[in-house]
Formats: sequence, structure tokens, C-alpha cells
Amino acid sequence: MLITLSHINKIYTTGAVEIHALDDLNIEIEQGEFVAIIGQSGSGKTTLLDIVGCLSHPTNGDYWLNEAHINKLPDSELTTIRNQQIGFIFQTFHLLPRKSALENVQLPLMYARATRTHQQDRAREVLTMVGLQDRCTHHSNQLSGGQQQRVAIARALANKPALLLADEPTGNLDSQSGNEILSIFEELHRQGQTIVMITHDPLIAQRANRRITLLDGRMIADESTESRTQPVLQEL
Amino acid sequence: MLGAIFRDALKNLSGNLLRSGLTMLGVIIGVASVIAMMAIVEGGQVWLVSSIERLGTNLLFVWKKRLTMEEKRMFAGRNLKLRYDDALAIRERFPDLKVAPIIEIDAQVKAGERNYSGRITGTSPEFSDIRNFHPALGRFFQTTDIHTWNRSVVLGKTIAEVLYGSQSAIGQQLKIGEHRFTVIGVMEPKGEIYGQDRDEMVFIPITTALRFFKGNDKIRSMIIHVPNRNQMEEVTHKLHQFLIQRHDGVDDIRVRNQGDFLGAVDQTIWTFRIVLGGIAIVALLVGGIGIMNIMLVTVTERTREIGLRKAVGAKRKDILQQFLIESTTISVIGGCFGVILGIFAAYGFGNFVAQSMPGGGDWGAVIKPTAIVIAFVFAVAVGIGFGLFPAMKASKLDPAEALRYQ
Ligand SMILES: Nc1ncnc2c1ncn2[C@@H]1O[C@H](COP(=O)(O)OP(=O)(O)O)[C@@H](O)[C@H]1O
Ligand SMILES: [Mg+2]
Repeated sequence: MLITLSHINKIYTTGAVEIHALDDLNIEIEQGEFVAIIGQSGSGKTTLLDIVGCLSHPTNGDYWLNEAHINKLPDSELTTIRNQQIGFIFQTFHLLPRKSALENVQLPLMYARATRTHQQDRAREVLTMVGLQDRCTHHSNQLSGGQQQRVAIARALANKPALLLADEPTGNLDSQSGNEILSIFEELHRQGQTIVMITHDPLIAQRANRRITLLDGRMIADESTESRTQPVLQEL
Repeated sequence: MLGAIFRDALKNLSGNLLRSGLTMLGVIIGVASVIAMMAIVEGGQVWLVSSIERLGTNLLFVWKKRLTMEEKRMFAGRNLKLRYDDALAIRERFPDLKVAPIIEIDAQVKAGERNYSGRITGTSPEFSDIRNFHPALGRFFQTTDIHTWNRSVVLGKTIAEVLYGSQSAIGQQLKIGEHRFTVIGVMEPKGEIYGQDRDEMVFIPITTALRFFKGNDKIRSMIIHVPNRNQMEEVTHKLHQFLIQRHDGVDDIRVRNQGDFLGAVDQTIWTFRIVLGGIAIVALLVGGIGIMNIMLVTVTERTREIGLRKAVGAKRKDILQQFLIESTTISVIGGCFGVILGIFAAYGFGNFVAQSMPGGGDWGAVIKPTAIVIAFVFAVAVGIGFGLFPAMKASKLDPAEALRYQ
């Protein structure tokens, strides 16, 4: 099992108000799955992805990624895990301005302490994979939204991560560019890449092979394309 | 990787030139003032030392201590005053030394219609050599003038002009007080030193001065030339002991050599160094606060960038390093400009002093390499020191929150 989430809770405390963003989640994801997480705005999708991506700790519960007991590890080791095992793709791309596509993709390689030549070779390689081999020296403001998101995918793939996490990757794109991004995901999935993607669009979710639906921080459905429906116990 | 971070820092700074420039301005002014102030103080020291040395070298100064009422009562009846005899005794006992006893009289000098009221110096022929101050016309008085209480007078250049205009002064008769004197020499122009214009001095033989104007043999001071520089301390001590012995065992005189004066200068200069250096360092610290301020703004502006860098694997140390390098780059570049500006400011000020201060003609700023190194090291330290807090703040940001910061 690549991911095991067991009794995961996340409670945000802002002033006197407590928000139960995730409520006792139990999820297992296997290597090679393409999972869509769906739910209304505010249902806890991003919060879940932050925990899976080792960006934040659950308030309680246990999380294993690739045998590592994540919630027992110090921040410094989570940094290494993010660098080596996880690739992030965001709705707003998060490319660094004033830097070329190549330099943006080099970033995770630089933090992995790769040599400069290796950084550039590998960055070129992944940019080619997403079809941007002739845009390496372009800065992000010289690229279209779809191209920017493809640079972001290339950056996410740079260190060959075990897990690709995408938070509404097509949310800021027109449907054509969105489609291109999803095609890339499908291709990566075919090659065995594990992908967890947040979306609130059911049509997009259809392209994954598993859909997990959240509502108010709880899982209310977990269905696979293969075995149509797989109802989960809910005490709603 | 450090190279890449440094290139990033330069890129970020040049991306906002106006802001970077204004931030650097604080450091530039700070470094420039450290360098300028140190150059001015060092220049002052060189000037003071050289003007002490221009008094003539290897000199000893002897004068009477001021006694308290109590001391006067205690030592009543003993031989206390500094007397002409003392000078003669020193010559006899230490034949290697050149001794010039000095007294000063306030009197009126009259030459026909013209006159001059001021200070007359009574001294011996040695004075001219000791002070390296020679007549331009005629001669200084000689030993025979001393023995015969000769009423001959040597005029400073300005006085000669006041009394005789363009006429030759040599051989002219004049009156000092009620006594008739003959002008035998006019001194070379020498200018001012310590507020005394040497061109306004009037010299007469000391014996003449004592006999006609004082009626006793008390002298004001002595200047003594020691032939061997290495014996200064030893001679100072021996001379002091000799005079105490002559004064019935009472230590009522001071004997000082140039080293003592140079020591005093040194002390004064240190005071200036500390005060001016302190001001300059405050300027530098204010520059540092400017850096801190801008770096805090930068960290806030780039919160999302920091979040992204952490998400893709930047360690705390990496973020800390990135922002420290950026603040240090500001201070190093500012430091370079500051060094240049400081050098210009120092020379500019040096010229200003040389032109506007009486006797400051040979005054100049002295820029020591150590001053530049100190200013530069301080600038870098300020960049690191004041960059540390913003950089720590950046490195501690929570990645999940930083990524979603609006
Ligand atoms: N940093 C935070 N502090 C406080 N509340 C938060 C924070 N992040 C998210 N929340 C709250 O947690 C809930 C889930 O948010 P989120 O995971 O962003 O939902 P989604 O991504 O599904 O829209 C929401 O009610 C949101 O307001
Ligand atoms: Mg969200």
C-alpha cells in the first residue's frame, strides 16, 4: 500500500472557533492508482491533500506513506520526503516569476543537491515529456496558462516522485488546455504513476479510476471505475 | 547551489532597482561616514604630530608647577622659583644639552610714530637653533649679547612690517618701554602654531630682559635640546632630579618631552575616534534597520514563493541562506559604494579644512586600509545581523499556509 490514512482528523482553531476540517478519515491508496477527490468547496479536499503531501500534520490519526510513519517524523524529514517522493501541482501554477521554464523545473533538483548539468539535463527531459522542449528559456509570463501548468507538471515530475498531487489543476484553464493537462495525467497513469487529483467537476473526476467524495470533512463515497460502486459505511 | 542563490539575489535586487537603491543608501551613508570620519581623525593626528615635531625635534620643556596655598606655606623659605641660575647650572652639568631659558614681558614697542603693544620674549641664542627658527635678515643675538646685557632686538616679520613698512629694519633704533634698543635681525616667516603667530614675536637677550624689565632672575620656562633621541627619557629624569635637588628637595617643576605631548595627542585622538566612530556606527546601524525593514517586506511579498520552495524540498536552512544572501548582497554592494563615497568625502573635507582652518594648510585626510576593511566588515555584519530576523521569519513559515497566502 502506498498510502494509508487511519482515523485522520484535522481541526483548525482560529480564535475561539474550531473547524473540524477532516473528520475521522480512513483511506488506502495503492501504487498506480489515479484517484480523484471530489466535494463541494470547503469540504476539506485541500486540507486532505496537504496532509497526504506532508505539508501539514493531522491533528490526530496515523499516516503511512511508502512504509514511512509520516506523522511521527520531524519537519526536516518531511521536507526530504516532499522533495523525493511527492510532486505538487496547484490551481495557480506557482511558478517563480523572473525565471525561465527550465529554471523553474530545476528547483526540486537543486534542493535535491543535484549537479548543475544533471539539473539541466533532467529539466529538459521532463519539459520534453510535457511537450515544452522549445519553451525552455521562456519566462512564465511569456507562456499561456496551459503551458504554465505543463511547466508545473514537469517540475512535479523532476525527481521521479512516487506520488503526484494536484489541487484543481484545471481550475484556472479553458476546457481545451484543461483537456491537455488531463491527457498528460492519463498518460502518466498508464505509465504507472500514482496520482491524487482534487476537482469539483464530476466530468473531470470521471477520467480517474477512483473517486473519493468528501462532505464536511467526511468521506461519503469511494467508487472505482472497475468495480462500479463500493459503498462505504457512513453514519450520516 | 550558492552560485544559483547569489544570481537569484542579484536578479531580485535588480528587479526593483529603486527600492534596492534606497535600502543601500543607508549602508552607503553609514560606511562612507565610518571611512570619512576615520580619515579625518587620522588626518588630524598626523597634523598634530607633525606640528609638535615642527617645534623642533628632541625637545624637553621645563616649567614651574603651580603650587597650592598649602604647599606654598609648607615649603616657605626654600629655594623654589625657576631661575636663570637653573639654566646656567644645567648647561654646566649637562654640557651636551642646548638650553634656552625664556621669559615673557608685556611692553610697548615704539619706533618713531609707529608702535606695537605686545609680548616680548627674552631668551638666549640657543633658542633660534632649538626651535629651528632663524633670522632672514641680520642676525640673532649671540653669547656676547647675553654677557653684556646688550640692548639688541630681533623682530618677527610682521612686527618689522608694522614698524618699518618696506624700509629696512636692521640698524634702526626703537624703544621698548623706556629703554632704547637696536634692531639687529628680522626673523623668517614661520606662521602660526597653537594659536601663537610666530611672525609677531619680538626677541631680546634674556639677561637684558631680566635686568631692565624684571629686576629679579625668575624665568618662565626652558626649552632644551637633547642631541640623542634615545636618551630622551633618561635625560628627562636626570634633569628633573637635578632641578629638585637645586630646589631644596621640592618637586615644583615639570619636565616634559615631546613623547609626553605626543602621548597626550594620542589620548585626545582616541577620544575623537571613539566619539566619531560611535556616530558613524550609529549611522551604519540605522542603515541596517533599513535593510531589516525592506527584507521583512520582501519576505511578506514572497510568502507564496517561500511556500512553493518548501513544498518542492527547500529546507529551513536553504530559505534562511537565500534571504541572508540577499540582505548581505545589499550591504556588500552598498558597502562598495560607501567606500568610494567615503574616500571622496574624506578628501573633500580635508581640502575644506586645509583652506579654511588657520594653520591647516598641510592638513589632509588620511585613509588607512584598515579603515576600509573595518567599514566593510561592519557593513557585511550589519547585512547579516539585520537580515537574520527576516530570514528566520521566512524559514519558519508553514508551507501549507504560505502557499495559500493571498
Ligand atoms: N488555515 C486554515 N485555518 C482555518 N481554517 C481553515 C484553514 N484552511 C482551511 N480551513 C477551513 O477548513 C475547511 C476545509 O477547507 P479546505 O480544505 O480548503 O476545503 P476545500 O479545499 O475542499 O475547498 C473550510 O471550512 C476552511 O474554511
Ligand atoms: Mg481547495
